[in-house]
Amino acid sequence: MKEQRLKPTLVNSLLMLPALLLLAIVFAWPLLDSAWLSTQASSVLTGLTPLANGGANWQRLLGDARFWQDAAVTLRFAGVSVALELLLGLAMALLLHQPSRGRGWLRALTLLPWALPTTVLALGWRWIYNDPYGPLNAILRACGAAPFGFLTTPASTWLFTVLADVWKTTPFVALLLLAGLQSIPAELEESLVLEGASPLQILRRLTLPLLRPWISLALLFRLAQALGVFDLVQVLTRGGPAGSTESLALYAYLNAMRFLDFGYSATLVIATFLLLVLLTALGWLLLRRRPLELS
Amino acid sequence: MKSLLLLWSLAPLAWQLYTSLVTPEALVQGGGVEAGAFWTLENYRQVWLADPPIWRYLLNSAVVGAATTALTLTLAVPCAYGLQRQGGRLGWLVTLALLATAIFPTVLLFLALLQLARALGLANNLLALSLPYAALCLPLAVLLLRAAFADLPPDLEDAARLEGLNLPRRLRHVLLPLLAPSLASTAILVFLFSWNEYPIALTWISRPELLTLPPAIARIAGSSLFTVPYGAFAAATVLGSLPLLLLVLIFQRSIVSGLTQGAIKG
Repeated sequence: MKEQRLKPTLVNSLLMLPALLLLAIVFAWPLLDSAWLSTQASSVLTGLTPLANGGANWQRLLGDARFWQDAAVTLRFAGVSVALELLLGLAMALLLHQPSRGRGWLRALTLLPWALPTTVLALGWRWIYNDPYGPLNAILRACGAAPFGFLTTPASTWLFTVLADVWKTTPFVALLLLAGLQSIPAELEESLVLEGASPLQILRRLTLPLLRPWISLALLFRLAQALGVFDLVQVLTRGGPAGSTESLALYAYLNAMRFLDFGYSATLVIATFLLLVLLTALGWLLLRRRPLELS
Repeated sequence: MKSLLLLWSLAPLAWQLYTSLVTPEALVQGGGVEAGAFWTLENYRQVWLADPPIWRYLLNSAVVGAATTALTLTLAVPCAYGLQRQGGRLGWLVTLALLATAIFPTVLLFLALLQLARALGLANNLLALSLPYAALCLPLAVLLLRAAFADLPPDLEDAARLEGLNLPRRLRHVLLPLLAPSLASTAILVFLFSWNEYPIALTWISRPELLTLPPAIARIAGSSLFTVPYGAFAAATVLGSLPLLLLVLIFQRSIVSGLTQGAIKG
């Protein structure tokens, strides 16, 4: 009976409070703390005690060739892998949408790469790419070709890291787009079929326009995740060779855990965060003509 | 086309299974090994009896997963209910914040969370891991459950209220039983996330016997860069994947519908 004396808004707010409080501690506070720490010297030299050093960390960042290389690697990685994931994910979603026997099983099996731990799969890919004993080289040998060092040169390592990421995350994109496909009334497609439209025309005139909100959602989600890529490169390549697969997140991690420079690690975290905000805001603005339904 | 899709999705996994079951000689020479020296369970024996044994990591991950799932649902159910009933400008703002946190790459939080763990003495504590994990899962869980609350007929709760049931009882006896499918798919997704999380586990846990599966696997991967016991690696990846594989196959319908429903309503 007590609740009747409280205003409904107050009850609702109180119900939301514990969850929102935990979210604030785990999301908002770390960002504020890292922003503050990025203005401090806090490394082995200071005994990990924060000492204000003005903008020295940020000055170092601007002149740090490794930072710029990692930023380029991360952007290229995110751009290429998200583009591939959207294309493949769309094809996969169209396939999974077709009615057939055992469709549930097909969906579940397709989802497996996404559901399994990234570090486990990264270890698996290291074996698949192994030179000379891995399965890919076994196939090459069977075709009479010379073994290939997939993870030895910077260019090919980068490429095959992207492939492993695409393999792992495309199912998620496909599932989001499948949700979109399921929301399109079947009658619309039937009427276009009656008009004699080809499958390609249906895709262009009906499916893609109606799928737009889901494509936007998948794009924003995958872009943000790809800009923070860490698990995969840390286990598959350790950022090598020659830093060709070192992401900003991995560099931030190395600064904290290997070089014990927390101040500079925080600077890298905040720089990555700013890049992320910039790019997702840009993506949001570009997609804004038909914003996501929030209600 | 469908067999191509299955080949793409499953071939890398199948190859791990194969690698884990053959002897090193068979792996290197392919077919040229006599039948008796081809298949083996030695790789599994090796990781099962290692120090610490792999079942220890699986157990740790299961404990963290269970604690995270319980904590997440306890916080997400009231929040989702409040959010769905609230609506309006406040509800819109909270939803927007949830969406922003849902897409946020969690690796950017590791540094500050590590300092927090040190300051509060939460490092090397398995159950403490469920605090950040629950927070990381809350956005998705609340969005999914809010959509589920929105699907319930509004008259239902009004009737229960007229019967004199207060809010906890209405939730417990009227609303939550109807939400069972959504609760189940949310719980599975939360457990999945917790099982797979890497950067926070990597920085919070340093004692080998407390490691969860992902950092343990990464540690195994890093331990031997020169001699490469890929058979044992593969056995570890198969055992580490098996629980989730079973989960996904048993609850395939819940997982697919959970994600797609959440996306449609969210």
